[in-house]
Parts: sequence; C-alpha cells; structure tokens
Amino acid sequence: MKIILDRPRCEGHGLCEEAAPRLMHLDDEGELILDIEDITENDLDSAKASVRVCPVAALRLE
Amino acid sequence: MTSATIATSDIDLWSDETLANPYPVFAELREQASVVRLSTNGVWALTRYDPIRDALANWQAFSSNSVAFNDAMNGALVGTTMAADPPVHTGLRAALTENLSPRALRGLKSSIDEKADVLVANLVERGSFDAMDDLARALPLQVVIDLIGLQGDVRDKVLGWGEAAFNVLGPMNQRTAENFPIAGELFQWASTLQGSELTEGSMGRAIFDAADRGDIGASNAGQIIHQYVAAGMDTTIAAIGNAIAQFAAHPDQYEILRQDPSLIPSAFNEVLRYEALMLAEGRLVKEDTEVDGTLIPAGDQLAILFGAGNRDPRHYDDPDAFLVQRNPVDHLTFGYGIHSCAGQGLARLEAFAVLSALVRRVSKITVGEPVRKVNNTSQSLDHLPVLEFVAA
Repeated sequence: MKIILDRPRCEGHGLCEEAAPRLMHLDDEGELILDIEDITENDLDSAKASVRVCPVAALRLE
Repeated sequence: MTSATIATSDIDLWSDETLANPYPVFAELREQASVVRLSTNGVWALTRYDPIRDALANWQAFSSNSVAFNDAMNGALVGTTMAADPPVHTGLRAALTENLSPRALRGLKSSIDEKADVLVANLVERGSFDAMDDLARALPLQVVIDLIGLQGDVRDKVLGWGEAAFNVLGPMNQRTAENFPIAGELFQWASTLQGSELTEGSMGRAIFDAADRGDIGASNAGQIIHQYVAAGMDTTIAAIGNAIAQFAAHPDQYEILRQDPSLIPSAFNEVLRYEALMLAEGRLVKEDTEVDGTLIPAGDQLAILFGAGNRDPRHYDDPDAFLVQRNPVDHLTFGYGIHSCAGQGLARLEAFAVLSALVRRVSKITVGEPVRKVNNTSQSLDHLPVLEFVAA
C-alpha cells in the first residue's frame, strides 16, 4: 500500500508525525515530508493511525 | 421503504434546559438512533461517532451552505470560509489558515507561554478567584488583542462580539434575535477596518499588507479578522474553563498529569472530547443520502451533535469517564475534514501554555458551584469560583 498526501490540504498540524514518526516528519519550514511512502505490513498500523488523526483529511492509504 | 424506521423526537435542542446540560439529551437521542428527526427544530440530528465523522468528511452530500440554523445568518455567511464548499472554499481556507498554521504560529509560543505563566503565578498569590474571568477569558483576550493588533475601545468589545457570533448560529429564537445587532456590529467593524488601525508588526497588520500586495483579495483581510474574533474567543475560553473544572472534579486525574506533564496533549484531547465546545453545527443536505438505514432527503437540514459523538460508547470505552491518559486524538470537537477548526493550532498553544503553568505551579484546585453560560452554540462555563489554588 502507498500513503498519499494531498499537499494543498495539509496545514502542518503535525499530528500524523506523532502517530507515525518513522514514516513522516515536519521539516524546519513546517512542511510535511513523507520519508516512507510504500507501506509494508510492519508499518501498516502506524500508517493507518496517521491517516486517522489528520484533522483536515489530507492523508490517505491506497 | 425507510420511512417506517424513522426515529423522531420532540426534544428542543435549543431550550434553556437542553443548553444548560445537553449530555442527558445527547445520550437519549444517541440510544434512540444514529439519525433522529427532531420535529420541534425541523432538523435531522446525527448522534453517533462514525456517521458524524463520515458526514463531516462528505461535503459533497452535506454542504456548509446552511452551517447556521436560521436563514438570515446563512445569508450573511455566504462567501465566507465557514459556509462555502469547494472549489470556492479552498482558496478562502488557504488565506485564513496562512497565518494560523502551526508553522506560522511557532514564533508565538514563547510569548503565549509567558502570558499564561504570569497569569497563573498571580492567581496562585490570590488563592481564590473566578477561573473564567481571571484565567479562561484573560488569556485568549490578551492573545487575540496582540495577534490582531487591536487598539483602543475595540478591545473591550471583542468578548461580547465573540459570544454574539456564536449565539446567532442558532435557530431564530430570542437569543439569536437579541444578538443579531451585536454580531452585526462586529461584522460592520471588520468590513470597514483599515490596516493602519492595527498595531504595527501584528499579524492583523500583516494580513492587510498581504491584501495591499494583492496576495489575497481586498475584502479578504477584514473577513479573516472577523473570523479570528468571531470564532477564536468563545471556544478557547470554554476549553480552558472546562480543563480547570475537570481537573478540580477529578483530582486523581490531575495528579496523574502533574506526575507526568508529557501527558498534557493527551489530557487536552480528553478535555475536548469530554465536553464539546459547540452544541451543534448545521449542514444542508445536497443529495438524498442514506445514513444507517435512514434516508435523509436533499434540501433538508442536518444538525451535527459533536458532543453526542464524543460520548458514543461504540467508539470510546467508558465514554463518561474523564481520563487524562486516554489521548482521544480523533475527538470530534474540532470537527473533521475541510472545515475542521482553522484555529486549532492556536487553541493548542494557549491550552498547553495554561496546562503546563498549572501543573508546574498548582498542586491542588478546589472549586465551588460552576455557572453555565447559556448560548445557542458555544458550550461554556460563565463563572467557576476557585476556592483553593494551592501552590506546588
């Protein structure tokens, strides 16, 4: 599965980073960087959690 | 046919009785069905967690064109971020959140932390005070005044304007009618405001500069300031007041937080879940939509009951318990999706500042009888007498 960011929607609230620190982080400018986009079984739970906590629904898993 | 299965209730969401304590009503409606036709109010209430979150995500079927519960207010809100759907909404939201995103707010953290710390330190000296006037209102008022760069008499008006802005979102009852002129005064002020009236170096001034440069539309600057004042005060005040009230009511939970201040974000999520800040928000049904077996026809009005969803036992275990370690990051109090609270980053900054000052400086909070503020939309305490505020 792949994690997909709708960048115009992202407002940088950073809740996803707390849910999935291995997969994504906010850079020094507060922009979200996806460090791992292709999600394996091991990261699936945290990937789902990051999608779940995004307050503006800017992340999805496909 | 689904008509045979329609759940109905004659409960009035906006009666004084319901507004004073909506949780028994929420529980009754939620157990009745996930969609309940409220015959007195002429709306469909959404009462359970999953359908509420799905509806908030589904702007195509559930439009924000009737976010308020009276036609006059919905008319006044046409063209604003709150009431627009995509594609119009997208640009308005970007202009509104440009200065409210966590990255834009980073520079404010230390000054907000300091403001909260000074307030709390002074209150520890006093020992007894009103948590609403002296802390819950004092901090957001200072923050908004500095942020927008308000000067002069207008600073004494913003609290009343904020309250009125939430009252007029309700149905056309007496509270709405009485508050229309006050909300209108805020609208008038914001729409004729000039950047030069705001403190140099303030975010408010920067928004007008952006309009002068053509980065945002000429009318956007006043509209953005309007939304900061209208939406940013009552809710933050309510959240800070609720935090103090719950810590006083649950001293064991406050002690857990004091022992581990890294729980502050979790505890604040729980404060927000435990008591939603808005009674309801409206949506206009744009296409016939079935929700849990009930057909909601196009053209009808929806009432999203955030607080009912936040206490849904189908989603949260033991939902009526206040637990600072629960960390319910997916609570519904800030909404969800494209209209989710634009000011949530600022709300977190202010609340975290208050909570960290509290756990550092105060070992025990004892309060007297709280008095609720009756408002058509915002759910807040009006007064919360603090009897003991024991220094840590």
